[in-house]
Amino acid sequence: MAQPPTDAALAALVAAARRSAIARRLQGDVETRLLQSIVDATARLFDAEASSIALFETDPDRLEFRVAAGEKGAGAIGLTVPPTQGIAGYVYSTGQALALSDVGNDPRFNRDAAEQTGYIPRSIAAAPLFDEHGTLGVLQVLDKRGSPTFSLADMELLAVFASQATVAIAAARVQRDTARLLRSVLGSIGPELSADEVEQLVGAATADLDPDDDTPFWTLVDRIARLRALGDGETTLVADLLEVLAEHAGRTRRSGRG
Amino acid sequence: MTKQTLPAWSEPFADPRRQLKRGLRLRGVTRQWAWGDATGAGVRVGIIDSGLENAHPALRGRVVENVTVEMTDDGPKVVPDEPIDLFGHGTACGGIILSLAPEAELVSIRVLGADLRGKGTAFAAGLEWAIDRGLQVCNLSLSSKSESLYPVFHDLADRAYFQSTAVISAANNVPAPSYPSLFSSVFSVAAHGEPDPWRVYYNPSPPVEFGAWGVDVPIAWKDGGSTVATGNSFAAPHIAGLVARIVSKHPGLSPFELKAILASVADNPGRRHPWRHRPAPGR
Repeated sequence: MAQPPTDAALAALVAAARRSAIARRLQGDVETRLLQSIVDATARLFDAEASSIALFETDPDRLEFRVAAGEKGAGAIGLTVPPTQGIAGYVYSTGQALALSDVGNDPRFNRDAAEQTGYIPRSIAAAPLFDEHGTLGVLQVLDKRGSPTFSLADMELLAVFASQATVAIAAARVQRDTARLLRSVLGSIGPELSADEVEQLVGAATADLDPDDDTPFWTLVDRIARLRALGDGETTLVADLLEVLAEHAGRTRRSGRG
Repeated sequence: MTKQTLPAWSEPFADPRRQLKRGLRLRGVTRQWAWGDATGAGVRVGIIDSGLENAHPALRGRVVENVTVEMTDDGPKVVPDEPIDLFGHGTACGGIILSLAPEAELVSIRVLGADLRGKGTAFAAGLEWAIDRGLQVCNLSLSSKSESLYPVFHDLADRAYFQSTAVISAANNVPAPSYPSLFSSVFSVAAHGEPDPWRVYYNPSPPVEFGAWGVDVPIAWKDGGSTVATGNSFAAPHIAGLVARIVSKHPGLSPFELKAILASVADNPGRRHPWRHRPAPGR
């Protein structure tokens, strides 16, 4: 039987969570920005009314539209649909890309979702986002302006964009999932812990990591984040300045003690 | 966008004149010989998909059984199912098969449902049931990318092959591993864009060996509806329908023989077509 997590293990987890939170703060919401750029490019290249990406989330199982582009796309953001329904659901469930046209003529087509977005498309193409672990979500493009339907070349191009989106998600997920990772680690090293106890420990580990904190620490992290735009020479200068500051701080502490 | 960067298995069928010069012409194996006036009578086709809406007019009352896979604590279990289709996709495939083989009998094996976890396992259980049931043809629009299911599907594909169940599988759009669609014993199918349900291409460069109509195909859809669809998963049932016709005329052919017949009657360019086919019955 595994022992409950020790203070040392908890301290290590806190450190890991802190580093991850700092990395997330430094880089901003990479996933959303990358996905947004992919749907922007998809909508533009297809000359489509809208493009969107829905990602699979659990508790409860759902496909959540994370980003959208195009004049008609905005209403989709934040919308969730069950993965057992609709075209996005089918493409997610089977991993098979497909396109439908004339969908607007079918009064049953995704009526709920369409009513929520205020937009009923005439045609829709959807491709799965998948990596070696499975399907993560769905990339959709709606209503290509120049044509009532989608061609094979369109489907193939959509698959290329889908694979780009998958890479973007994989790169960003590690950061986003810190709390989930902590829960999973705590759950496996202390199987006798109840869900509430795990939640309490995760809460304790991440309590002082609220990125909205207006503390001097986060102010510093934000300022460092802004330095990304600097060239090599300027970066070296800033690094030298920080080194001088660190030495100064060390001397102040030593002289303070002595 | 250049052709070199296109990822899909459909590419050879997008330009058959240039890419499918080689074919196979077996003496006497014409469309008339292969299926002639056959209707698919006596052939059971399993549709492993989202279910079948038995009452849909496109299914012409030809659905003889509906089952689904339930995930239980003791593993997947195949149980009787309602005549429903969660998405419409299974019904679309059934309609395409019957448009080519109007007297075939359809068996719905629904492997998509509310519980998404273990769906690869459910899919494998559905395929196993179809093979054990001795269905002559199985249409799959799904495939699994799970490495852990590779041996399971490989074993099932071999069992199907050895007992002459023709497994027709839609190729995925991306050339990544997916099972069983890329196994050599299955009929792996991608789409071509010529609006002719009888037009078949044979690709002598596997893994995808056959091309069938899969662009802007008029299909049956959920709740008695219809729509127009594009995708490899609408190409596969065209091959399944033709195979059902061949099997109804020549019962007991092995998948190897069926593939050779399809290759022989394929529309690959550079060859004369003395067997000019007639329009499909009822179309």
